[in-house]
Parts: sequence; structure tokens; C-alpha cells
Amino acid sequence: MKAKKLKRIFGSMLVSVLSLSLLAGCGGSGEEAKKDESGAIIIKFGIHVANPKDQEPVTYKIVEAFNKANEGKYKVEFEAADTETHSKNMKLKAEDGTLPQIFWIEGSEATEYGEAGVLMDLTEFLDENADVKKALGGMEKAFKYDNGQYGLPYQCNVQGIFYNKELFDKAGVKYPTDDTTYEEFINMVKKLKESGVTPLAIGSKNSAYAMWEFNEFLARYGWEDNIENILSGKDNFNNKELAACFEKFQGMKDAKAFPENMATIEYFEAKQLFDEGSAAMFGTGQWDCAEFDENIGDKIGFWWGPKFTDTKAEQNVAMKVPSAPIGVSATVADNEDLKKGVYEFLKFYYGEEAAKLSYEGSIFPATSYEGVSAAESQYAMNEMLKSLESGWASPAAAPDLTVPSAVQEVLYDGIFGVLQGTYEPSEALDKMDAAVANSQ
Amino acid sequence: MHWLSKKRYKIGLLVPTLLVYSVYIVLPIVIAIYYSFTKYSGIGKPRFTGLKNYVRLFQDELFWSSFKNTMVMFILAFVLLLTLSFLIALLLNHKLKAVDFSKAMIFSPAIIAPIIVGIIWVYILDPNIGVINNVLDAIGADSLKQTWIGGEKLSPYSIAIIYFWQQLGYLVTIFIAGLKMIPGDVLEAVKIDGANAWQEIRYVTIPMMRTTISTVAVLIITGVFKIFEIVQQTTGGGPNHLSETLVTYSYAQTFSSSDYGYGMSLATVTFVISLIITAIYTTATRERKE
Repeated sequence: MKAKKLKRIFGSMLVSVLSLSLLAGCGGSGEEAKKDESGAIIIKFGIHVANPKDQEPVTYKIVEAFNKANEGKYKVEFEAADTETHSKNMKLKAEDGTLPQIFWIEGSEATEYGEAGVLMDLTEFLDENADVKKALGGMEKAFKYDNGQYGLPYQCNVQGIFYNKELFDKAGVKYPTDDTTYEEFINMVKKLKESGVTPLAIGSKNSAYAMWEFNEFLARYGWEDNIENILSGKDNFNNKELAACFEKFQGMKDAKAFPENMATIEYFEAKQLFDEGSAAMFGTGQWDCAEFDENIGDKIGFWWGPKFTDTKAEQNVAMKVPSAPIGVSATVADNEDLKKGVYEFLKFYYGEEAAKLSYEGSIFPATSYEGVSAAESQYAMNEMLKSLESGWASPAAAPDLTVPSAVQEVLYDGIFGVLQGTYEPSEALDKMDAAVANSQ
Repeated sequence: MHWLSKKRYKIGLLVPTLLVYSVYIVLPIVIAIYYSFTKYSGIGKPRFTGLKNYVRLFQDELFWSSFKNTMVMFILAFVLLLTLSFLIALLLNHKLKAVDFSKAMIFSPAIIAPIIVGIIWVYILDPNIGVINNVLDAIGADSLKQTWIGGEKLSPYSIAIIYFWQQLGYLVTIFIAGLKMIPGDVLEAVKIDGANAWQEIRYVTIPMMRTTISTVAVLIITGVFKIFEIVQQTTGGGPNHLSETLVTYSYAQTFSSSDYGYGMSLATVTFVISLIITAIYTTATRERKE
């Protein structure tokens, strides 16, 4: 009797569990528009920093301004986590269909998200908002794939080398110019080293991504023209041009351009060396401008990097490129109200008011609006704008963002391997070729 | 209580535990093994690739360097931790002056989060800002300065020392608990029989502590294969993955390179290696029992 009773209990429990899972399975396809107590539709924005207010103040201010302008109608809420956790979370959420409506995507993973069908095609949004498309000025093309527009640039990245004029003066070294060659750069490094400062601050511990200054090197060795052939297997990374480029990294190592403990310091510690005046140069982008204004003030200078004489590739290259994109979850398309809210936010995010807020926070927006620029006291940003006045063209995307994540990681390893002397240039390039083969 | 001892009720009582164990332990392992046979970026659908990841793994220089590093750490940590924690426990089991204070001091690193342990040791071992090299500099012993972390050779040894420092107190505590379990009359009888201190340890303490020693050994083996935060904090696995352990390399491949399939093949191999070592150890000690 008891056994029968137990069987019955287990049986009914099993049926209930199965029925519940069936119901849960049926109910997960549509996107519910959640509302707050004022009736405003909540739009979730997955962001790659744990504390947007402090770490992405510009985006935080834009969201605040949008929420204020749309009180009772729409409310954007952050879903915040540090970059690594954010990337992991987004993948998990993509799997179970719970992605936030809008989210920041690791640049090298954008294609994978697009191909997996978890992103909404934003072609319609751009067609409906011609002014936004015009203001983006082609920046959106970096995330346009064969099957649609699966992302828009989060910001615009201007990358290069910042330098401390005071330390250059003390070392009796002339400031670099648009025409400074690699050989002159190496002499500059040697003189700065002799003066007792670290010529170029860089840290490799958990910071392989912090190689922005070397994107310019890659671009000036014809990366953009060759990358498609390399990834499709028609060419190799270990070619004459890139071998010459990687030899230049080795030359910098030989000239002792970097901190001796670059393997045990992170990007933030390397930046600290530059901030406190122990290092003369630091490769980064506009996101550090506000910090440099505070620490170095009007002694800051900006430079794209050296020109090379052993390549036929174009040397007049700037590095004003779209940053990693933000994407919209495909489920947003299932709910008209939510879709309208997301479009409203994107319109605001890429609008003139947001562009003004960006410049105020020393961030280049992905858009360009006439008359919107930096203030006089934004020294670092003005130095960048001065460099941009040359009118040189930029690649459609930063070189490191044009390869899949597995290859990107080996590219970073390769560069830092040569900088630290653990790889020979050709060895690093061979590893990149192997990564391409493995990624097929 | 008699009715509870019936087989079917025993099974019924075990079901919840087995269910939780299966869902949270067995299932993830099975899923990880499945992914190890696929090409998967973490987004979209995994593509079955057979043994490709395993073939790649055995040809991957960085896998072998991570394996070597893990083994260096394992041998160093196993030998140092097992012997020294036992000896210190023997010492602290005696009524000495300041014994409680010493116990507290030795145990204190075990309560520090591994990530903080890593930070502390960066300030000790860093070749530029670290205490050791600066002290060597100050006393004019420049020639002894080394790249303790962040170089190509010494990182795994340094990490093993850090792990030793962190785990010592915890294992000493387990040994002390084991020593307290030895009946006092047995030790007294040994002394009356005229055994010296060495004979007491060799013929009474060690045999009676066999279970504790086995537990500590298994804890060391499994612990070494889980060293993660210390590596991340001291070297980040660098330069160029040369100081990675099997776990950190698996993590880097899975999450930094988004190569989930390959990362899971590394995790599977790590799992198998730790199982083999544990099995060898338990078999070896069981033989001795017989």
C-alpha cells in the first residue's frame, strides 16, 4: 500500500514538473514590456562597467537626460557588470533569450551575435531616422553585415599616443610630429630613457587589450587591405608587411621603451605611471582625456605614432574609429511599445544633446554635429582634435576589432610576446595563422 | 525508527541529495565534456568537431607549459605542505609558550581571500616594486635579484610558495585535530615501553593519523588543480601564458578567446589528470594498509 502511495505521489510530482516546464517553454517567446510604478516602460541597458556613474559618466548622463525627458513614458535602467562578467552574462542571456533590450557588445564578438540571430536588424531604425544616419557619417558601416545592421557604434574611439611635454623638454627631446619616422621615434625613446623616465608606459597583466597605439602600426602596414584575404586563407599573417611591422615592436623592446615590470602591471597601473610623470608616453584613447586633464593639464600632447619607410602602405592614417557596438535584442521586435521605446532611446543617444554631453565629458560621440566640440580647458581632447585637423582617413574599424575573438586574443598575445621578448616576430605571426586555422 | 532502515526508504531519503548532486555536479561535467567535442563561441549553436580539440590540445605548446607549471606547483606544494604542516602540527600539539598565538598566526593567511593574497604577494615579489628585490638592492646584493613573477622561469615556483603560505595554517589545523584524536593512554604506553620521540611518531602517530594524512593529501591534490586567483592576481598567466596553470589556461581560452569548445577540452583533461593523481594516491596508500 505504502509503495503504491509513494508511486502516486512521485507520479503526480513528475506530471506537475513536466507541465510547468512545458508551460514555461511556451511562454518564453514574446518580450514583455515591464513598467515602473509611474507606468514608464523599462528599457534595460546592459553595460560593460560595474559602476556606470563613475566608470562611464557620459553614458550615465545621457541615460539620465533621456529618462528626464521621457518621464512616465520610458525609463532606461542599467544592467551593469565589469567587462569580463558582462561578456559572459550576455552570452548566457543570449542562450536563454533574456538579453537586455540594449547591450554593449565586445567588438570581436559582434559578428557571432549577428550570426546567432539574437540581435535586431537596425536598418529600419536608420531608414526612419535619416538625421541620425547622416550624423553617424558612415561609422555604422563597421557593424553592417550581409544580413543586416546588427549594431551601432557605442562611441567613436580616437586612439594614439599621449605624451608629457614637460618630460620631453627635460630630456631635451623634440615633440613628435605627423612626419616623425620610426627611426626618429627610437632615438626619442633612447633619449627619454637616458633622462631617467620610462619612455612608453604599458602593462600586459590582464590587459592584453590595451594595445591601442599599435593599431596605428598595423594600419600603416596595410592591415585593412590584407585582413580579408588573411581571414579567408588566401594570405597569411606571416607576410612581408606584418613581419616588418612586428620587427618594429621588437625594435622598441630592444630600445627599452617599456617599464621593466610590464608583465606584472595592468593597464591602470601603467596609466598611473604616465599620470604621475614617471613615463613620458602612454598609448590610449579619448576615454582617458578627463584623467589627463586633471593630472597633466596643458602639458599634454597627442600623436598618431611613427611613420614607416619600409612599406608601400598609406602612412597618412588617423585612428578615429567606431568603438565596440551596442546591439538591440531580437526579442524587442516582438513588442511594438518596447520597440518604439528602444528607437526613441537610440534617437536620443545619437542625437545632438547626447553629442554635447559626450564632448563635455571628453568623449568623442559616434556622431558629428556642427558646432558641437570640446571646451578650451579640455586640453587632452583639444590635442586630439588638433591631430584630427590633418583630415587623414581612418580605417573602417580598428585593426584588432576586425578579427574573431580567438584570433584577436592571439594577436594581443603576439604583440605583447614580441614586446616582452618571449616571441620572435615570425613566431608570433605563425601563432596568429594557427589561430585562424583553428577558428575555421 | 525501524521503518526508516528499509531499503526503499533509504533510497527515498537519498533522492533529494542525489538530484541536487546530479543537477549541479554531474550534469555540468557531462555538458562540459560534450562541449569539448564541439566548436562553440558561447553564442549560437555548438558544432560537433569530434576529437579536433583534443588533437589541438596535445599539439599546443601552451597546454604543455601550463601542464608543466601545474605539476611544478603540485610537487612543490605536495611535498612542502604535507611534511611541514604535519611537523608544525606536531610542534603546536605540545604545551609550549605562546602556542595559541602561534596557531592564530599560522592560520591567519587561510582566512584571507585568495585575491587579496595575490595582491599582498605582488608587493613582495614584483621585480620592480617588490620588497624582496628592493631589500636585495638595499643590502648591495643586486646579483641575487630575480624576476620572481612575470618572467619565464620562476613564476610557477613563486606561485607554489604563495599557495603553500596560504594553505599551511588550514592543513596544520586539520593535523592538530587528528593528533588530538590519538588516545592519550596509547602514547603513554609507548613512552613507558621506552620509545623515543622519533619511534613514537614513526610507529604510533603516523599509522594512527593515516586517515587524516590521506584527507590532507587529497585536499592538496584537488587544491593545486584549483589554483586560480593567485595566478590571475600575480601574473595574469603572463608573460604570454607562460605562467598559466591548467585551470587558468582553460579559463583564458574559454572566456577571453571565446573558444568554449577548446576551453572545455582543457577542463576535461585537467579533471582527468586530477582524478588519476587522486586514484594513484589512494591506491598506493590502500596497498600500504594491506
